[in-house]
Amino acid sequence: MTNPVLKLDAITKQFGSGHTAVTALTDANFEVNAGEFVAIIGPSGSGKSTFLTIAAGLQTPTSGQVYLNGQPLTHQSERQRLAYRFNDVGFILQASNLIPFLTVREQFKLVDKLAKRPFQKEKTEKLLAELALSDVQNAYPNQLSGGERQRVAIARALYNDPSVILADEPTASLDTPRSIDVVKRLADEAHHHNKAIVMVTHDQRLISHCDVVYRIEDGHLARTETTKA
Amino acid sequence: MYLGLKEMWHEKLRYGLLSGVLLLIALVVFMLSGLANGLSVGNRQAVDQWRAKTVYLNKNANQSLAASQLKISDQTTVSGTHAPLANLSGTLRTTTNKLKTSASAFGTSRDSFIMPKVIKGHRINGKDQLLISAGLLDKGYHLGQKVRIGTTTHSVKIVGTYQTSTYSIAPTVYTDTSTLNRLKGSPITSGKDQPINAIVAKNSQFKSSDHDNLERLSITTFVSSLPGYSAEQLTLNTMIYFLFVMALAVIGIFMFVLTLQKSALFGVLKVQGIGTRHIIGALLSQSIAMALIGIGLGLAITIGLAQIMPAGLPFVIDWNAFGIYSVALLAAAVIGALLSWRTVANIDPAVAIG
Repeated sequence: MTNPVLKLDAITKQFGSGHTAVTALTDANFEVNAGEFVAIIGPSGSGKSTFLTIAAGLQTPTSGQVYLNGQPLTHQSERQRLAYRFNDVGFILQASNLIPFLTVREQFKLVDKLAKRPFQKEKTEKLLAELALSDVQNAYPNQLSGGERQRVAIARALYNDPSVILADEPTASLDTPRSIDVVKRLADEAHHHNKAIVMVTHDQRLISHCDVVYRIEDGHLARTETTKA
Repeated sequence: MYLGLKEMWHEKLRYGLLSGVLLLIALVVFMLSGLANGLSVGNRQAVDQWRAKTVYLNKNANQSLAASQLKISDQTTVSGTHAPLANLSGTLRTTTNKLKTSASAFGTSRDSFIMPKVIKGHRINGKDQLLISAGLLDKGYHLGQKVRIGTTTHSVKIVGTYQTSTYSIAPTVYTDTSTLNRLKGSPITSGKDQPINAIVAKNSQFKSSDHDNLERLSITTFVSSLPGYSAEQLTLNTMIYFLFVMALAVIGIFMFVLTLQKSALFGVLKVQGIGTRHIIGALLSQSIAMALIGIGLGLAITIGLAQIMPAGLPFVIDWNAFGIYSVALLAAAVIGALLSWRTVANIDPAVAIG
């Protein structure tokens, strides 16, 4: 039995107070292990985004605790949480999280510049080849197709060797074949690089590729039957 | 820095335009500085060349050389190296009236320390001899020429020239005290009762507290009391200072608007752990780069314009002032970029999710 990479323990999140209080998450328990591809599925307004912002350390829960590799996250300083997101979490956001004025290659260069280390050229090229992006490495994000952009985002998320990757509706702007492609690649990366990947989505079609599926509705998070052995 | 400069490279038009605005501001700053310095030199060059520390004027003259009336004999009340100074502002003209130029004429004793060093011709060694500023040679004056100053019919002969010198924006000429008094038409042109306007001195004090009609001025006070001098300098310098405020406002507003435009992107960056410090660093590198481009081109254009400027324009480059103003413009750009700090810090990364 391995320790979960990311664990949310009895998380409750309330917005506002008194009569106007809204509970976005109620007593949510969640864990994901290395090499696991987990989907969180639910309609809009169900608390998916709140879940992600708490897991990412962008918001503090009203009660409960978030653990990354066994370390509690909730009481860390702003700066520590910034470092946590930079080093330990990879993000794939709904719209592209690429920087519009950097080429694909430069997106990776920037990460190295910020980490104050030399550009890892081979690592970049290997990742880009893995995601079939070698031909577009000098293109700007607006010259890429939606699918290519999300594949670059996957490569960018993997680049810092994070413990966990959080994907927020990564297929929202894609058609079905491209959505399936992106999800397949996420599953591959989880298994191949032994990463914990959490994908938040409302798209039922994608869950057949996931190892574990959680459903969320009105702030209640529940693990469902695993779809794969 | 990488982030900021890459963005500038990608958005050349946008950042080029702002660099252009900064260039114009820098250009005006440098031009005004050159003009202020040119006017300053035009007013005070002769005074600077005296290398004096003190000027004594009549205390009722309101610190004005032209209004001050003293006598040669007043020199006995002051100590140290000193020289009499008589002044006449008038039209320098040839006896045929072919050439006419406004000039500031000074009379002093022939061997005094303020008598300029002759570079061509000879020193004054007899009556009715005149030394002229080298600048007047370009206007057609030459050695051996007979000239008059003012309305007098008395003529003097040009015997030498010295390093270019101006006073009250007019070229200077020097002669001995007696000759100047003859040119002025003064009734007394020799002896201890000859009128002079001032006593110019190096390290000098009153010998006793009994100096009834004299006032001791430092050379700095004397210069700032030159007619129009302080008003001109204050006007031009105020314009320069105001331009720094404009540079700050332009950079500050531009960076603020861009920050608002890019707040979604900055939110995404923050989600990925790229914090306020890095984003401000990018804004700073951009504003510094734009300021350096603006200042550099502004300097180059100013130097270029200085070559083709009409000779009548009092424009003199003061490298010290240019250096200080460049640093001040750079500082304005840095402060302008830092004004967006709060806005960047307040961008909530949570909005980038969901």
